[in-house]
Formats: sequence, structure tokens, C-alpha cells
Amino acid sequence: MSEDLELGNMLDYEAVQIWLDGLRQHWGGDPVTDDSERLPTLEAFCQFVRVDPDDIIKQCKRVNKSGDPRISVKGRRKYASLIDEFQIQSQGSRLQKAKRGNTVRSFLIHNAILLAPGAQMTGSE
Amino acid sequence: MEFKEVIGRRRSIRFFDPEKPVEREKIQIMLEAARLASCAVNAHWLKAIVMQRDYIPEDMLEKLKTPVLNVQLDLAPTHIYFFIDLGVVNQIQGSRLKELVDVGALPPTHGWSHRFVDELVYPQILKPLTEQPAYAAVAAADAGMAAGQALLAGVDEGLGVGLNTPNPEHIHEVLGVPEDWMMLWVLLVGYPAESWDAGGQRPRPPFEGQFFDGEYGVPFERDEAVVDDLKAANMIQRQAVPNDPERKAEIKALAERFGLPL
Repeated sequence: MSEDLELGNMLDYEAVQIWLDGLRQHWGGDPVTDDSERLPTLEAFCQFVRVDPDDIIKQCKRVNKSGDPRISVKGRRKYASLIDEFQIQSQGSRLQKAKRGNTVRSFLIHNAILLAPGAQMTGSE
Repeated sequence: MEFKEVIGRRRSIRFFDPEKPVEREKIQIMLEAARLASCAVNAHWLKAIVMQRDYIPEDMLEKLKTPVLNVQLDLAPTHIYFFIDLGVVNQIQGSRLKELVDVGALPPTHGWSHRFVDELVYPQILKPLTEQPAYAAVAAADAGMAAGQALLAGVDEGLGVGLNTPNPEHIHEVLGVPEDWMMLWVLLVGYPAESWDAGGQRPRPPFEGQFFDGEYGVPFERDEAVVDDLKAANMIQRQAVPNDPERKAEIKALAERFGLPL
């Protein structure tokens, strides 16, 4: 079995700070304490893909020939599908699984990686 | 509903009730409204394909999605895919103009006759127009106006509506339309899962910055008495404001209901 990825304190990653700032600005409150599962879920996803938060965002972006930042379609697609996998293999009810997937999607969304998952009709469980 | 209120009540709805289908007669009313729109040279560029979401195979639905048009396509029970039929002008060759001559809409008092259409309007104006780069823009403006009437008719019928752009890359393949039909929009239709107010009317640029009086640079002055009348008629409604706690609570509840990220 492969060893866990060595991750630092999640709060020290720039992409995590951007995410939490985005949540704070948009929704108010303290995004770390108002959902205690938020950071552990992202950490679990990082372990799942074996990539740290900053590198995930880096892989979803690219710079074009003129030097302008762009979203990498390839990177975004790759992570959209990895999040789907992560969600499916997560433990719990369908609602809990969707919540875990959406936590990671939120991390990407607030880092300007557009990633709409489509509706997941959790009520129909 | 009064016409002014229809305009005022319209919002681009992004949360539809996925389980509540739209009555077929209401869709027909929307299409009838589009058909009656003002239309240059009576060409009628607008064409539409009505799709019921539940009958679109999943792989096809996926192909129509874009990163910003994903949730709505899943939620809206009815999709009206609007196209611009770029071939129509050369198919009808002025015949619909001659219909207007016959019914007295284009009378000789204004210079119209069958011969005028056959010898001048079609061969010298319309046919060359179809070869100009600007042709698609002209046709799109016209078709857009017709689609706008369908949209407002939907609001009048108590429906939520929203115009969006599906993935143009796969549209011909998925819907099997002729190659000279250019994608315009998809009008998503359903009953709103969000409130009708949906946070209020969306912010707009200042009136005087958009409209001019007599010449460019001279703003068309806004009469506040008219604004008050329009408020009384529900055409001008409460404007959406940033960080509205009620709207945020509504979005959070919708996100939970539909399993969406925050």
C-alpha cells in the first residue's frame, strides 16, 4: 500500500486561504468552524489524488502565449472526474457523499476554476 | 398579468423545480408569441426545437452542457433550443414580402409592388446581404427579438425562464438540425424553485449612460415621475443588493436541496 502524501498545515496553503477568504466574503461567518468537515474533506481529497492544494490549482491553470492566465480545460476535466470518483468512494449516505464532493468543488470554484457539478437531487434518496 | 409587470417580473431563473413539468399549451403560447414578433422582410429566421429534459438521453444532455450551463440544464424540465435559419432568405426569395404586399401591409403608397420585390429587393438587396459578413448579426438580432417575445410570454404564463448558450460544438450533432441553422440560445423553462423575486431586479447600468437625446453624449433625461408610475405598475421593482441575507439564505437552501457546492 502506498504511503500517505506528506501535507503541511492545510491553512498554510495559499489556495486554501483563497478558498476560505472567498467563502468568508461571500457567505460570512467563519468557514473553518462553521463546517468542521470542510478542511478534513479537502485533506482527504488531496490524499486521494496525492497532490497538495496549491498544486491542484496549478494543474487547473495555464498561461497562454501572450502570458495571460487561463483555465486549463484538461486540468479542469481531470479534477472534475477525480472529484466524482472521490465522491462515489466516500462513505455515508448519498447526501453525505454529495456534500464531500461539493466541498472539493467549492475549493476549486473559489480559486476561479469553474466547476459546476450539475444538480444532484439529494432529496430523492 | 399586465404587460409592464411581465417585464418587471422577469428574472433569469437558475433554479427550476425539476419535478414540475411545464404544460404543453404554455409552451405553445410561447412559440405563438415568437411567431408573431416583428420581423425584417418577413423572413422569420427563428426556428426552435422543444425538448423535454427527461426524454433527452443522458449522453446527449452531457454534450449540451458547458461549465456555466450545467445545473440549469439538469433542473429545467423544458428546453427550447433556438436557431437562426440562415438559409431562409434565399429559400423564400422575397415571396413573403409579396404576401405583405397582397395583404396591404406593404402598400404602393410606400413604393411596394411584386415587381419591386422581384427586380430590386430580393436580387439587389436581400441576396447580396446573405453574402455579407454582417448577415448573421442581422438575422440574429431579428431572431433574438422573437425569442424575447417567447420569453416574456412564458413569464406571463407564470413560468420561470432563462436564456443560455449551450455547447455549440455538439449542437448540430445532438439535435440533428441543418448545417445552415446557427445556434442562438436555449431558453430554459420551468417553474422556479427560487422565489419569483430571486433577490430583486438585477443591477443595470445608469439609464442616462445608455440612452441619448438628439445626439450622442446628450443623455436622455429620466423623468422621476415616470419612474414612479413604473414602480406602481411593478415594472421597476426592488433592485437586488449585494450581500442580501435573505437571498443568501435562499441560495443556501437551494444548494442543499439540489446538492450544489457553495
